[in-house]
This record gives sequence, structure tokens and C-alpha cells, in this order.
Amino acid sequence: MIRFEDVSFAYPDQGSSIRDLSFELERGEFAAVIGANGAGKSTTVRLADGLLRPSSGRVLIDGEDTRNSQVSARARKVGFLFQNPDRQICKNTVREEILFGLRTVRSEEGESALQARAERILAEFSFTGDEEPFALSRGQRQRVALASIFAAEPEVLILDEPTTGLDYRECCHIMDQIRRMNEERQVTVMMVCHDMEVVLDYASKALVMAGGRLLAAGPVREVFRNRELMEKASVLPPQVISLGLRLGDGYETADTPEAMAEAVLAHRKKEGASDE
Amino acid sequence: MIAIQDLTFTYKNGKTPALQDICLSVPSGGFLGIIGPAGAGKTTLLRAITGVIPHHYTGDFYGSVHVNGMDTVDTSLDRLSGITGMVFQDVESQIIFPTVEDEILYGLENFGVPREEIPLRISEALHKVGIPDLLERSIASLSGGQRQKVAIASILALKPQVLVLDEPTGELDPGSSRQIFTILKELNEEGVTIVLVEQKIMLLCEFAKDLAVLDGGHVVLQGETRKVLTQVEKLQSVGVNCPRVTTLSHLLTERIGRQQPVCVNLDEAERMVRGLMK
Repeated sequence: MIRFEDVSFAYPDQGSSIRDLSFELERGEFAAVIGANGAGKSTTVRLADGLLRPSSGRVLIDGEDTRNSQVSARARKVGFLFQNPDRQICKNTVREEILFGLRTVRSEEGESALQARAERILAEFSFTGDEEPFALSRGQRQRVALASIFAAEPEVLILDEPTTGLDYRECCHIMDQIRRMNEERQVTVMMVCHDMEVVLDYASKALVMAGGRLLAAGPVREVFRNRELMEKASVLPPQVISLGLRLGDGYETADTPEAMAEAVLAHRKKEGASDE
Repeated sequence: MIAIQDLTFTYKNGKTPALQDICLSVPSGGFLGIIGPAGAGKTTLLRAITGVIPHHYTGDFYGSVHVNGMDTVDTSLDRLSGITGMVFQDVESQIIFPTVEDEILYGLENFGVPREEIPLRISEALHKVGIPDLLERSIASLSGGQRQKVAIASILALKPQVLVLDEPTGELDPGSSRQIFTILKELNEEGVTIVLVEQKIMLLCEFAKDLAVLDGGHVVLQGETRKVLTQVEKLQSVGVNCPRVTTLSHLLTERIGRQQPVCVNLDEAERMVRGLMK
């Protein structure tokens, strides 16, 4: 669905920021792009969206080169959620905000069909539609931005740190909605995220970047358990995985507090400790 | 150092109080972490500590806030800002100059720091946040994380006695976030009182000496960090999720039927599990 072929990219006056990037995401995959600040993560997702175009190499979305595709065609296929929702919200009510996006990318459907679509998405996101976006909390504004993207039913969803600045509850709310879209509609998700616990809980694949290059791509848990790779990318793996690696002795496979507690209890049972 | 007594504050035009009956104190050299869901009143509380409430943001103010013995209502914002430095949540609204050097210089000149002292102050501040090489860079060329560090450095240069930060690592990756918290810890050990709002619970629990949990304008839990962390149900009810190693402590306590230490970091969790494996 998303294919990078030897992609390099340089911002004007700054030397190259992305070098020889090649990878592919299948339809329905949920991938997280991880790495330290300045690793090139945001540039990579902007290239995937076609907001930036490669200096060399090709980015293909569903087989189409982003350099040749029309912005309007791409906008139907790819939804982009910025880190800061205020950069994409521009209308005075949530309903208008959702209709604004729909009218841009689905204009051929006719106004009444679009309104029906908007009402469906409002219900799905538990908005009345009359809310004023800027009177809502940041987490709710992020959900407004997400709702307007969902309304257009994109095949690819690109997220640049979607949970930054959200409290835990808001974070779960947003991420659960993204997961539902990924699972129910096979939407391909590519997400930049600094919270490795969120990556562990939601993503299935990790693209590990450092210094503008791709260091590795693979299943999230495998990537997190690769100590050398994590150090090279300056990424701290999720707590329980780190703990398992330190303990060794079969504890490496535990990835949640529950699994770790089970492993400890099983070990104690084997050793004959008497637990209640 | 900071003493808040029965503080209730309603913003002008606000329908309900943003803060209600807040009693909180932070000793000199304290390190208080504040957490809570969106709209809990966290930023308002920081504003009350720095004195921008009630001096800049007006409204109905009941109770009192004392910083270094001075009542914030009776003391000018000028004087208060000589004691307390604040790093905003939105760095973009804090940074106003085009280069790093000018940004830090601005505060120092405003505070009347002697000219000969300025270069050293700037270089010390940049070293503390690990960006000495960015001195001459334009702000526009910096990443979000680097800007955050510049904002912190510009406040550190003023050598505040109390440092108040509103989600200072919001834009930073985990490595840089930890670096900022390590810097805050060092400053704290040098005697600077730290008060910060943070959503990154793992860092907060590992570094803050005390925690205050806010919800709906009230302080619902406060005290020594580990004590607060034992209140799992209360924390969950206000949407605060414990660090996963802390959850592991709770699970093991429950399943083994014997109190395990409340772990806040990997070292402690490793020690706990190894202890149980003997």
C-alpha cells in the first residue's frame, strides 16, 4: 500500500535528511515509526503523504507515484493527522468541520449524501455536531480532526504523534478509535509516536530510524527486544520488555505487567514458594 | 517555600471555579509533580503559583498563595518573577526572538543582569540543557524538542529559586525527556524548588518527590510519590495510569498476598522480582 524505493530527501540548505529509504507496508498494516528527535520520522511520514516529494527515489501509494498523482486524488486515499489538531481545524462547529473536509474530497457525492455521512461519523464519535471546536479540550479537538479524516474513509491513515499532550484517557480514546478503523476497514496506519507503551499496545510493525536512515523494520516485540538496535536508535523499550530483558531466564517474553506477574508466580511455584 | 491555603479561583467570565479549596505546600528544595486529566486545573494552579493569577488573569480569588513568604496578591509580578521562573506549555508562545542567543539574552537584559556576567550565564544555561552548539542558530531551524530546550535554558539563565514548568517534555522524545528530568533533578539538588505538570507518568513518578493529583479543580490526592501511587483505584478513577512497573508491584502484592515495594523504575522492579525468585 505504501512503498518507498531508495528515497532520499533534503530540505533546502540543510543537507540530506533522509537517505536511501526503502520499505513497504501492506494494506491493513499498523506501523509505528520510532527513533530519537531528528531521526527523520516526521519527514518520512510527510513523504508518505506526498506533502513532501523525494529528491531521488520513489514513493508509491497504492502503486501510484506521489510525484505524478494529483493532490485531490491523494487526499481521498490518504488521511493525515497532525500532532497539533489546531493546525487542521478551521470551522466553527464540529459538523461544519467534518463537512468541510467531505466537500473537498467527496464533492461528487452530492450535498445530502455528504450530510448523511457527516451525521454517521458524528454519532460514531459521540459528537452532537454543534460543539465549537476551540472550546473543546485538546484531546477532544484531536478527535474532531480525526473524525473529519475518518469521514472521507481514507485507505491510509498517517499520524504524526497523535497522542502528544493528551492525558491517558484521551490517549486511549483516540488510539482505540484508530485501531477500530485499522481492524474493521483494513486501513493502513503509519504512525510517528514517542510513547513506546502506546506503540507496544497498538502497532504491529516498527520502522526504526536514526540519522535519516532506516535501521530496521519488523514486528514490534522483536524490535523492542533487540537491545543493540534500540541503543543505536536511542529508543528506550517499554518498561516490562526492558525488565524482561534484564531478568532473562524466560522472562523476556513477558510484555505486560500481567504476563510478568504470571511468569514470576510460575517461577515461584516451580521453586516451591507458598503464595496465597 | 510555596504555601497555598484554601485557594478557590474562578476566571473572569468563567462559570465554575477552575480551582476549588486547594491546600498545598511545597518546601524549599521540593520537587512537586502535578498530574490529572485535561481541564483539571493544572495550568491554572501553576499560574497561581507564579502570580500571573491574579495579576494577569483576573477573576474571583479566594484564599492565599505565599511564595517565599510573600503573598502573591500583594506582591508585584515583577518581584515574583525574580523568584519564580515559568516554562510555558506552548513553547511557541514563549519564544519571541529569531535566534537562540537573542532569546536568552532578552530575559537577562530585562532582569538587569550585569553585562559582563551575561555570556557566562548564557553558556551555562545552554550547557545545562545540552545544546551549547545551538547558540547562534535561528529558532526557525530548530526541531520542536530543541525549541523546548531553548525555552528552558532562557529561564534557567535567570537563576530562579522556584522553577515552574507546564509539560516541559511535551514535544520531546523519551531520551530527551529523560535528559530534561535529569537536568531538573540536578537543579533541584542544587536547591531549586521544582513544580511541574506532566502527563508522562513514568518520569513523573521516578523524579518527583511529591505528587498532587488534580481532577475537576480539586486536589484529589497528594503526598509522597510512592504513597500516592498505592492509591491505584483512586488514580484510575481520575484517568491516571500508573507506570507499568508500579502496576507490576501492585499485581504481585495482590497475588502473593504480601506487600511488595512500590516500584517506580526498572532498577527497583528488577530488585523486587529477583528478591521473589530467591
